[in-house]
Amino acid sequence: MKEKLIHIKSISNKIVCILLSVALFINISNAQDSAAAPVEKRAITMQLAFYKKADSTKTIIATVKGKSVTNKFLPLRSMKVNFYVQNKMDQVLLNSAITDASGRAMIDVPKILPLDENLNFTIFSKIENDSVYQNAEEHVHFKDANLSLILLPKDSTQTVKATVTEIDKNGNIIPVKGKEIKFYVKRLFGMMPAGEDYTETTDETGVATFSYPKDIKGDEAGGITLIGKIQDDEFYGNIESRAQAPWGVVLAVDKNPFPRALWEPHAPFPLIITIVTLFGIVWSFYFYIVYQLRQITKEGNPNVKSSHV
Amino acid sequence: MSWALFCYIHQLRNGLGVTAMRNYVSWGLYISTFVFFIGISHSGTLVSAILRISKQEWRRPITRSAELLTFVSLLFGGIMPIIDLGRPDRIANLVIFGRVQSPLMWDIISICTYFCGSTMFLFLPMIPDMALCRDRSIVTNTRFEKFKKWLYTKMALGWTGTKSQWHRLENTMNIMTIVIIPVAVSVHTVVSYIFAMTLRPGWNSTVFGPYFVAGALYSGSAGVILGMAAFRKLYHLEKYITLKHFDLMGRLVLALTLIYAYLNLNEYWIPAYKMATGEGHLLKDLFYGDYSKIFWTLQFGSVLLPIAIMSFPKGRTPLLLNITCVIIVIGAWVKRYIIVVPTLLHPFMPIQEVPNDWSHYFPNWVEFSITAGCLAGIFLVITLFAKMFPMMAVWEVEEGVQIEHDRLVAIEIRKKREAEEEAKLFDHSEVPQEAIN
Repeated sequence: MKEKLIHIKSISNKIVCILLSVALFINISNAQDSAAAPVEKRAITMQLAFYKKADSTKTIIATVKGKSVTNKFLPLRSMKVNFYVQNKMDQVLLNSAITDASGRAMIDVPKILPLDENLNFTIFSKIENDSVYQNAEEHVHFKDANLSLILLPKDSTQTVKATVTEIDKNGNIIPVKGKEIKFYVKRLFGMMPAGEDYTETTDETGVATFSYPKDIKGDEAGGITLIGKIQDDEFYGNIESRAQAPWGVVLAVDKNPFPRALWEPHAPFPLIITIVTLFGIVWSFYFYIVYQLRQITKEGNPNVKSSHV
Repeated sequence: MSWALFCYIHQLRNGLGVTAMRNYVSWGLYISTFVFFIGISHSGTLVSAILRISKQEWRRPITRSAELLTFVSLLFGGIMPIIDLGRPDRIANLVIFGRVQSPLMWDIISICTYFCGSTMFLFLPMIPDMALCRDRSIVTNTRFEKFKKWLYTKMALGWTGTKSQWHRLENTMNIMTIVIIPVAVSVHTVVSYIFAMTLRPGWNSTVFGPYFVAGALYSGSAGVILGMAAFRKLYHLEKYITLKHFDLMGRLVLALTLIYAYLNLNEYWIPAYKMATGEGHLLKDLFYGDYSKIFWTLQFGSVLLPIAIMSFPKGRTPLLLNITCVIIVIGAWVKRYIIVVPTLLHPFMPIQEVPNDWSHYFPNWVEFSITAGCLAGIFLVITLFAKMFPMMAVWEVEEGVQIEHDRLVAIEIRKKREAEEEAKLFDHSEVPQEAIN
């Protein structure tokens, strides 16, 4: 019996040894595999857009997308993007920004940028040394231009004159011809195209004229904000200009659209009368009872020793 | 209660974010409990005022406990919305800048009115009892006894039991009995308006006023039975609170449960038949969704089962009736939760672009602790009251005994007279012999 037990014990010891050896082997081979194969960083894409706004501020926006585990490119959040400007042979760091939930990182660009011999500026955006994603770089190469909107003297046509100019090597302002300008009207949450055909092209003098429709709703004074835009131009990027014009249809504001709303200072009169009457009746009874209690107290004798219950 | 106070201070310091309530469910356990307590407060009105007005003599031993239950449940019910406020220090603004057209304002006015009325309604029948306590309390040197004597003297209002004082007391009690009934009904109706006057699925109902009042009466009267049984046991009042009281109260609760069941049917059957888009999501969730288990347990467990039990005389004996009333009271509380929370989780504009946990709600430890503290507060106030004051209206019970005695004497006299008249009819001694022949 004892021998049998010793035999079983030895067999079980052998099995445990074999299992441990297998586990050790698997572990070592995995470790070797992981040491041999470096972690492959995921692919990344970046788009860069340049905007010059109506107040001459310049903005550059990088949109970053990374390859997900499902092999789809999705917006990347919290990625650090470095922006550089080309200054002769060097790249000078302008600023850095972190991408938001839509993968966008944005910086304001200085008004004066170093230019090359053709008066172009070059801005780079880079993602560098990220632990998960590959390095990425993108650049834009644009020329500075100006877009101005001038309202023509008031007539029945409601026409606006958009002028596109740039500065040449000698410092002279010269017109830019053949540029498409899109015309919009500012609305509360965005821009509305000013009609079905809202695009005009500049002529040789750099001017494009556009007549705004007459049925655009304005504010209480009939004011509207006109917007002229050069969009995604290969030489100039995005340039925008704005102007105020009293060309809108006057907005009729209902000063009291919700007379029964909770925030109205005055309640409906019948409601006040009803509440005051109902609770007034109840409280008048209460006061009467308090009066009666007072009378009971007056009629009583606090020094009396026996109550006639 | 100390733990609840600690939790409330924690909530005050860190804001309502420490609770499970978020943007969508901003009325959770606190407001459900508020509605429940206001419902329980209807017990005093029902048992005391309605039975008093209908001259039900058997009410006498249980009116005090019912009125007390009204007082304390209103006291703590009124506290619950303040607990639900993130900034309770701004409570005065509700009155200062309140809008008369807001149902919340009506709620404040009506609850304050009901609280004042209930306090008077509790106090008025206590005056002769306070005089009795004043006269019979033993004067010792202990501070507490002196304090009690002083308190009884003050509360007795110099009562000597003169004819004029009795007349005034009866007069005021008759007025309060009539006035308190519409006030009580208005309170729970207005509480229902807070829900029914908003455009939300489940709350957009015209039956909510009577539905809430019926639910309040049904749970409140069950609460009275529990209180009645507790005081009977603790203070050995078997002589006064008899099996007859349990039977009659059981019948009353049965009648109220039937009314409540009928209104329950109306509340759910009509919108379920129509299944309008907005209501549909909520009703599906209640009937066979996340809340279906609770919903059907409530319908069968706290409505149909009590009806089945209380329909039989054995079901109205103290033990079974108490078990049934515990089920009803707990069921009423959970029902308020089912009214408040699922609707908030099913707004007409779908919940979107918010963290996932905002679209679910279950009270957390802070809410449970504070609510349990309020419940403990109710028991504490009742216990303190029972230590200080008679839990039965002594003079009313005595009056009832006298009335019962007079009634028995009157019956005895009537029977005697009838017997005499009958004897006269069959007494032939005075009839002439000729007439007989």
